[in-house]
Amino acid sequence: MEGKSEELEGEMEVEAYRRLFPLQFYERHLSDSVRPDARPLNKARPTSIVPAPLPSADASAMVKIGNTTMLSGIKLEIMFPSSDSPDEGCIAIDFHMPPICSPMVRPGRPAEAAPVISQQLNNVIMSSKLIDLKELSIASGKAAWMVYLEIYCLDADGALFDAALLSAVAAIAHLEIPPVCLNEEGRVVSSQGQAETNTDNNGNTNNSNTEKRKLTLGSIPFSLTCLLHKQYLLVDPTDEEESIMPSLLTVVLDTSGHLISLYKPGGPVLAYTSTTKNCVALATRRVKELEKILKEALSEMDVIEN
Amino acid sequence: MASKSGTISTYSPLFSRKNPNFTNGVRSDGRHFHECRLAFLRTGAVNAASGSAYAEFGNTKVIVSVFGPRESKKAMMYSDTGRLNCSVSFTTFSTPIRGQGSEHKEFSSMLHKALEGAIMLETFPKTTVDVFALVLESGGSELPVIISCASLALADAGIAMFDLVTSVSVSCFKDDLVIDPVFEEESCQDGSLMIVCMPLRNEVTQLTVTGEWSTPKVHEAMDLCLGACSKLGDIMRLCLKEAASTLQ
Amino acid sequence: MGLSLGEKNYIKGGIADDLRCDGRRRLDYRSIAIDTGVIPQANGSARVRMGSTDVIASVKAELGKPSSYRHDCGKVSIFVDCSPTAAPMFEGRGGDELSTELSVALERCLLGGKSGSGAGIDLSSLKIVEGKMCWDLYIDGLVISSDGNLLDALGIAIKAALSNTGIPKVEAMPGTSAEEEPEIDISDDEFTRLDSSKVPIIVTLTKVGRHYVVDATIEEESQMSSAVSMSVNRQGDVCGLTKRGGAGLDPSIIIDMVSVAKHLSQQLIATVDSEIYAAEARESSA
Repeated sequence: MEGKSEELEGEMEVEAYRRLFPLQFYERHLSDSVRPDARPLNKARPTSIVPAPLPSADASAMVKIGNTTMLSGIKLEIMFPSSDSPDEGCIAIDFHMPPICSPMVRPGRPAEAAPVISQQLNNVIMSSKLIDLKELSIASGKAAWMVYLEIYCLDADGALFDAALLSAVAAIAHLEIPPVCLNEEGRVVSSQGQAETNTDNNGNTNNSNTEKRKLTLGSIPFSLTCLLHKQYLLVDPTDEEESIMPSLLTVVLDTSGHLISLYKPGGPVLAYTSTTKNCVALATRRVKELEKILKEALSEMDVIEN
Repeated sequence: MASKSGTISTYSPLFSRKNPNFTNGVRSDGRHFHECRLAFLRTGAVNAASGSAYAEFGNTKVIVSVFGPRESKKAMMYSDTGRLNCSVSFTTFSTPIRGQGSEHKEFSSMLHKALEGAIMLETFPKTTVDVFALVLESGGSELPVIISCASLALADAGIAMFDLVTSVSVSCFKDDLVIDPVFEEESCQDGSLMIVCMPLRNEVTQLTVTGEWSTPKVHEAMDLCLGACSKLGDIMRLCLKEAASTLQ
Repeated sequence: MGLSLGEKNYIKGGIADDLRCDGRRRLDYRSIAIDTGVIPQANGSARVRMGSTDVIASVKAELGKPSSYRHDCGKVSIFVDCSPTAAPMFEGRGGDELSTELSVALERCLLGGKSGSGAGIDLSSLKIVEGKMCWDLYIDGLVISSDGNLLDALGIAIKAALSNTGIPKVEAMPGTSAEEEPEIDISDDEFTRLDSSKVPIIVTLTKVGRHYVVDATIEEESQMSSAVSMSVNRQGDVCGLTKRGGAGLDPSIIIDMVSVAKHLSQQLIATVDSEIYAAEARESSA
C-alpha cells in the first residue's frame, strides 16, 4: 500500500514538472534520444488511412497520424470554362479547422493556421501536377468539372499539414468522375442508366461516357514536417512539441524523389544546410512509408467497391 | 487558385431525386415504419477536447466535442451559474448539394435549449462549457443525432447532468408515422415531431412539431419517440460503461 | 427582469390562486386590438396590441423564381425584428437571438411540413408560371413594445396582415418557349385577396410553478420554467409546436397542455376573426 502511494506521488511530480517546466522536461528526454511518448526522435507516429468514409461525397478519405485526424471530401460541380483555357476544369482546395478540433479555435474566431495550410496545400497540389486539369473537361468551351476539395481537421495534434496533404491526396486518388452528358439547354445531366440512347443521338458529347472513370494521377506529393530545436531534429511533432519548440521545417517530395516544396516559417532556430539535407533524407524515407500506406488503402477501397 | 475559383459560378449536375416509397410497410432502406436505424456510438473521438463523442446513425455522421468548463469570454458578466455555449456546423460535403459550411444558427440554438435543462449549471460557476458539433455527413434526422451525441460527449467530459439527454424524431406521411427518417423521407414529409427527453426522469426538455397533426396522432408519435428515446438511453449508457471499463 | 423576492412570490402566488396581478384568471386573455392597413406601401399589414405588447406585421409580395423541388408553388419567408424601443436589452445586437427564435417558431407554426401539409397559406395559389415565376411573400414582424406573449401577438398580426393582403393580378403572355423568361403584365388596380382562413393561431401556455397561464405578461414570463407554443387551425389540428425554457416537462403534462390549447384556440380564432372583420370595416369606411 505504501509503495503504491509513493509511486503515485512520483508520477504526480513528473506531471507537475511537465506542466511547469515543459522545455526542461523535453530537453531531458531529448538528451536521451527519446520523446515523452516513447518515440525515437526520427520516427513518425502510426499512420492510417480510412478509405471512403462518406458515401454521399464524390470522394472522401480520413487520415490519422497519431491523434491528428483529417477528413477530406470532394464534391464535383459543373462550371463554364474560362475563355483562356476552354478545355480545362478547376480545383478549389480549402482547409478548415472547425471548433471541434482544438481548444484554441472558437466559433467566430478561426484558427490562424488554417489559411496558411490552405494556401500551402494549393501550392503543392497545383505545382506537383497531380491532376491534369484537361481531364476535367466535359465539352470544350461549354462545360467542365469544378473539383471542390475540402479538408476538415477533426483532431489537431501537430503536423497538421502532413495529415492534410495525405488525406487530400487519398481523396483525389480514388475520385471517380461520374458519366454525364449535355442536354438541349446546355446543362449537364447525369447519363447514368439512360446513357446509351443519349450518347448516340448527341454528337457533341465530348468526354462523357457511360462508365465512371478515374483520373490519371501525375506524381503524388507526400510531406514530412520536422521540428528543429538546438541540435535536435524531431520528426512528425505533436501539438505539445510544436507549442514548446516553435521552429518547423516541412519537406514535400514526390514519389520519384523530386523536391516540390520546402517550407520553413521563421522560428528561433536557423536551419543549416546540413540540417536541411538531413530533413530531406528523413522525408525520402517517410515518402516510401506513406506511398505503401496509400497503396494499401486504395487497394482496400477497390475491394470494397467490387 | 482559391480566390479565382470563388468568382466562378458552378452548379451541381441534375441527378434524379429519389422519392421514398413504402411498399408493404417497408421503407427504401429495408426498415419497418417503427424501426430505428442502427446506431453506432463511441466516446473519446477527439483527443484535444475535454470530452467528445462520435455518432453514426445510418448515413448521418456527427462528431461533438466538449471543451471546459473554462474561462468565460472577457466581455461576459459575472454569473454564479455556469454558461453553456453551443455551435453546430456542417461540412460543405455533408449534404447532397454542396453547402456553405457555415454555422447552423437554428440548430445551435435548438441544441442549447435541448441541453440546458439537463446540465447542472450551478456546479461550474463563472465558467463556460462549450459544446461544438460538426456534421460530417447528413443522412437525415441530424438534430436528434447531434443532441444525443452531445449529451454523450458531455458525460465523457465529466459534466454533471441530471440524466443523459436523448432525442428521436418521427415523420408523418398521411396516416403513417415513420421513425428516425432518412434524408429523402424528411424532404417530402407531411409533418415531423421531435422529442428531446431525459428518459430516466421521464421529462421532455424539448419538443417541436411541424405540419398538421390531430391530437391522437400527436399522442401516438410522442409514445413512439419516448419509447425509442429510452432504448437509445440504454445504448448510450452501455457505451459509457464500455468506455469506462476499457480505461481500467 | 429585476424583480424583488416579494414581487416574484406575489406573481407566483397569484397564479397559484388563479388570480393574476392584473385581475385575470389563468386562462384569460388580455383584450386584443387589431388595426389593418397600417403600412400603405406593403401589400398587407396589421398592428396588434395586447395590453402593452405592441407588434406590427407586414406582407410584401415580390416576383421570384420557384425552388427546384417545388416548381408549382410560391415561397414564403418570415423575419422578425425586435425594435430597440421595445426593451433596453434589444439595443445593438441584443435582440438578434430573440428575433431568430421568434422567426423560427413562427415559420414552424405557420408554414407547415416540407410537403406543404398543414400550411396556413396555400402556396400553389402563389404560382404564376409553373417552374418559371411565382410570388414570394416576405412577412416581416416588428416588435414595437414588449410586454410578454410576443409569439401569439405576432401570430395574430400575421394572420390579420395576410387577410389584408391583396396580390396584384398577373397576366402571363402565352406562347413563350421553355427557355425564355415569360413575359408578364402586372395589373395596377386589380387585386386578389389571399385566403387567410386556414392560417392557424398560436397559443402559448407558460408554466409558472405548478400551473400554466395563457397570454403571460413579461413579469410572468420572467418566472416561467418552460413554455409550450402551439399553433392550431380552425379544425382543431395541431400545425406546429415549440417549447421554450430549459426545464423539462412530464409527457402527460404536455398532452394535457395540447388539449387545453386546442380548446382555447377555438375561442381565440372566433375573437380574432371578428376583430379582423371590424378592423377591415373601419379601414374601408375611413
